[in-house]
Amino acid sequence: MMTLLTLVLCIGILISALLAAYLERRVAAVVSAGLVGLFASVTYVILSAPDVAMTEAAIGSGITTVIFLFALSKTKQQPGKKADE
Amino acid sequence: MAESILGLAVIIIMLAIALGIYRLVKGPTVVDRVIALDLLTLVSIALIALIAHATSRFIYIDVALVYGLLSFLSVLAVARYLEKGL
Repeated sequence: MMTLLTLVLCIGILISALLAAYLERRVAAVVSAGLVGLFASVTYVILSAPDVAMTEAAIGSGITTVIFLFALSKTKQQPGKKADE
Repeated sequence: MAESILGLAVIIIMLAIALGIYRLVKGPTVVDRVIALDLLTLVSIALIALIAHATSRFIYIDVALVYGLLSFLSVLAVARYLEKGL
Protein backbone atom coordinates (compact mmCIF):
# COMPACT_ATOMS: atom_id res chain seq x y z
CA MET A 1 0.00 0.00 0.00
CA MET A 2 2.82 2.41 0.88
CA THR A 3 4.57 1.60 -2.41
CA LEU A 4 1.43 2.44 -4.38
CA LEU A 5 1.03 5.68 -2.40
CA THR A 6 4.63 6.70 -3.08
CA LEU A 7 4.09 5.92 -6.77
CA VAL A 8 0.99 8.17 -6.89
CA LEU A 9 2.90 10.98 -5.18
CA CYS A 10 5.87 10.69 -7.54
CA ILE A 11 3.53 10.76 -10.56
CA GLY A 12 2.04 13.91 -9.02
CA ILE A 13 5.52 15.47 -8.75
CA LEU A 14 6.20 14.61 -12.41
CA ILE A 15 2.89 15.99 -13.71
CA SER A 16 3.25 19.19 -11.66
CA ALA A 17 6.79 19.78 -12.90
CA LEU A 18 5.73 19.23 -16.52
CA LEU A 19 2.83 21.65 -16.09
CA ALA A 20 5.14 24.24 -14.50
CA ALA A 21 7.41 23.96 -17.53
CA TYR A 22 4.77 23.96 -20.27
CA LEU A 23 1.90 26.18 -19.09
CA GLU A 24 1.48 29.48 -20.91
CA ARG A 25 0.03 31.53 -18.07
CA ARG A 26 2.68 32.54 -15.58
CA VAL A 27 0.44 32.45 -12.51
CA ALA A 28 -0.66 28.89 -13.31
CA ALA A 29 3.00 27.88 -13.70
CA VAL A 30 3.81 29.35 -10.28
CA VAL A 31 0.91 27.41 -8.72
CA SER A 32 2.17 24.19 -10.34
CA ALA A 33 5.68 24.86 -9.04
CA GLY A 34 4.22 25.17 -5.55
CA LEU A 35 2.57 21.78 -5.97
CA VAL A 36 5.94 20.15 -6.66
CA GLY A 37 7.05 21.23 -3.18
CA LEU A 38 3.79 19.95 -1.69
CA PHE A 39 4.11 16.43 -3.10
CA ALA A 40 7.85 16.32 -2.35
CA SER A 41 7.13 17.18 1.27
CA VAL A 42 4.65 14.30 1.68
CA THR A 43 7.20 12.00 0.05
CA TYR A 44 9.79 13.12 2.62
CA VAL A 45 7.37 12.20 5.40
CA ILE A 46 6.96 8.72 3.90
CA LEU A 47 10.76 8.44 3.73
CA SER A 48 10.93 9.17 7.51
CA ALA A 49 12.43 12.67 7.32
CA PRO A 50 9.96 14.96 9.11
CA ASP A 51 12.41 17.86 9.58
CA VAL A 52 13.17 18.01 5.85
CA ALA A 53 9.45 17.82 5.17
CA MET A 54 8.75 20.70 7.53
CA THR A 55 11.39 22.90 5.89
CA GLU A 56 10.09 22.01 2.43
CA ALA A 57 6.53 22.83 3.53
CA ALA A 58 7.52 26.21 4.93
CA ILE A 59 9.93 27.36 2.24
CA GLY A 60 9.35 25.35 -0.91
CA SER A 61 5.59 25.40 -0.92
CA GLY A 62 4.68 28.49 1.09
CA ILE A 63 7.20 31.27 0.80
CA THR A 64 8.41 30.57 -2.76
CA THR A 65 4.94 31.07 -4.25
CA VAL A 66 4.55 34.40 -2.47
CA ILE A 67 8.00 35.60 -3.55
CA PHE A 68 7.41 34.56 -7.18
CA LEU A 69 4.07 36.37 -7.29
CA PHE A 70 5.58 39.45 -5.65
CA ALA A 71 8.33 39.48 -8.30
CA LEU A 72 5.74 39.00 -11.07
CA SER A 73 3.75 41.96 -9.85
CA LYS A 74 6.92 44.10 -9.81
CA THR A 75 7.99 43.31 -13.38
CA LYS A 76 6.57 45.03 -16.42
CA GLN A 77 4.83 43.09 -19.16
CA GLN A 78 6.25 42.93 -22.66
CA PRO A 79 4.81 45.54 -25.02
CA GLY A 80 3.40 43.14 -27.64
CA LYS A 81 1.75 40.70 -25.26
CA LYS A 82 -1.69 40.66 -23.74
CA ALA A 83 -2.02 41.47 -20.07
CA ASP A 84 -1.58 38.45 -17.82
CA GLU A 85 -4.40 38.82 -15.34
CA MET B 1 -10.62 -4.07 11.45
CA ALA B 2 -8.46 -1.01 12.03
CA GLU B 3 -6.06 -2.08 9.28
CA SER B 4 -8.84 -2.37 6.72
CA ILE B 5 -10.23 1.04 7.68
CA LEU B 6 -6.76 2.59 7.27
CA GLY B 7 -6.35 0.91 3.90
CA LEU B 8 -9.73 2.22 2.77
CA ALA B 9 -8.75 5.72 3.91
CA VAL B 10 -5.50 5.53 1.93
CA ILE B 11 -7.45 4.43 -1.17
CA ILE B 12 -9.89 7.33 -0.77
CA ILE B 13 -7.00 9.79 -0.35
CA MET B 14 -5.26 8.47 -3.48
CA LEU B 15 -8.55 8.90 -5.39
CA ALA B 16 -8.79 12.49 -4.13
CA ILE B 17 -5.19 13.17 -5.23
CA ALA B 18 -5.98 11.78 -8.69
CA LEU B 19 -9.09 13.97 -8.99
CA GLY B 20 -7.12 17.04 -7.88
CA ILE B 21 -4.38 16.36 -10.42
CA TYR B 22 -7.07 15.93 -13.10
CA ARG B 23 -8.50 19.35 -12.29
CA LEU B 24 -4.99 20.82 -12.24
CA VAL B 25 -4.21 19.46 -15.70
CA LYS B 26 -7.62 20.10 -17.23
CA GLY B 27 -8.63 23.36 -15.56
CA PRO B 28 -9.06 26.08 -18.14
CA THR B 29 -8.60 29.10 -15.86
CA VAL B 30 -6.09 30.00 -13.19
CA VAL B 31 -8.80 29.92 -10.50
CA ASP B 32 -9.44 26.21 -11.19
CA ARG B 33 -5.76 25.47 -10.63
CA VAL B 34 -5.68 27.49 -7.42
CA ILE B 35 -8.68 25.53 -6.14
CA ALA B 36 -6.84 22.32 -7.09
CA LEU B 37 -3.81 23.53 -5.10
CA ASP B 38 -6.00 24.19 -2.07
CA LEU B 39 -7.69 20.80 -2.37
CA LEU B 40 -4.39 18.96 -2.70
CA THR B 41 -2.99 20.80 0.34
CA LEU B 42 -5.96 19.71 2.47
CA VAL B 43 -5.70 16.13 1.22
CA SER B 44 -1.96 16.15 1.99
CA ILE B 45 -2.63 17.29 5.57
CA ALA B 46 -5.02 14.35 5.99
CA LEU B 47 -2.47 12.00 4.42
CA ILE B 48 0.34 13.14 6.75
CA ALA B 49 -1.92 12.66 9.78
CA LEU B 50 -2.84 9.20 8.50
CA ILE B 51 0.82 8.24 8.04
CA ALA B 52 1.56 9.51 11.57
CA HIS B 53 -1.17 7.25 12.94
CA ALA B 54 -0.19 4.24 10.85
CA THR B 55 3.51 4.37 11.74
CA SER B 56 2.90 5.51 15.38
CA ARG B 57 5.37 8.37 15.04
CA PHE B 58 3.53 11.39 16.29
CA ILE B 59 6.34 13.81 15.44
CA TYR B 60 4.84 13.74 11.92
CA ILE B 61 1.84 15.65 13.22
CA ASP B 62 4.11 18.72 13.45
CA VAL B 63 4.56 18.67 9.66
CA ALA B 64 0.77 18.66 9.26
CA LEU B 65 0.60 21.56 11.72
CA VAL B 66 3.08 23.61 9.70
CA TYR B 67 1.07 22.86 6.56
CA GLY B 68 -2.14 23.91 8.23
CA LEU B 69 -0.59 27.19 9.32
CA LEU B 70 1.00 27.97 5.96
CA SER B 71 -1.46 26.56 3.43
CA PHE B 72 -3.65 29.64 3.31
CA LEU B 73 -0.66 31.86 2.53
CA SER B 74 -0.06 30.85 -1.10
CA VAL B 75 -3.78 30.80 -1.95
CA LEU B 76 -4.13 34.26 -0.39
CA ALA B 77 -1.13 35.54 -2.37
CA VAL B 78 -2.54 34.24 -5.67
CA ALA B 79 -5.93 35.77 -4.89
CA ARG B 80 -4.39 39.13 -4.11
CA TYR B 81 -2.28 38.96 -7.28
CA LEU B 82 -5.30 38.19 -9.47
CA GLU B 83 -7.07 41.22 -8.04
CA LYS B 84 -4.02 43.43 -8.75
CA GLY B 85 -3.43 44.03 -5.06
CA LEU B 86 -0.08 42.42 -4.24
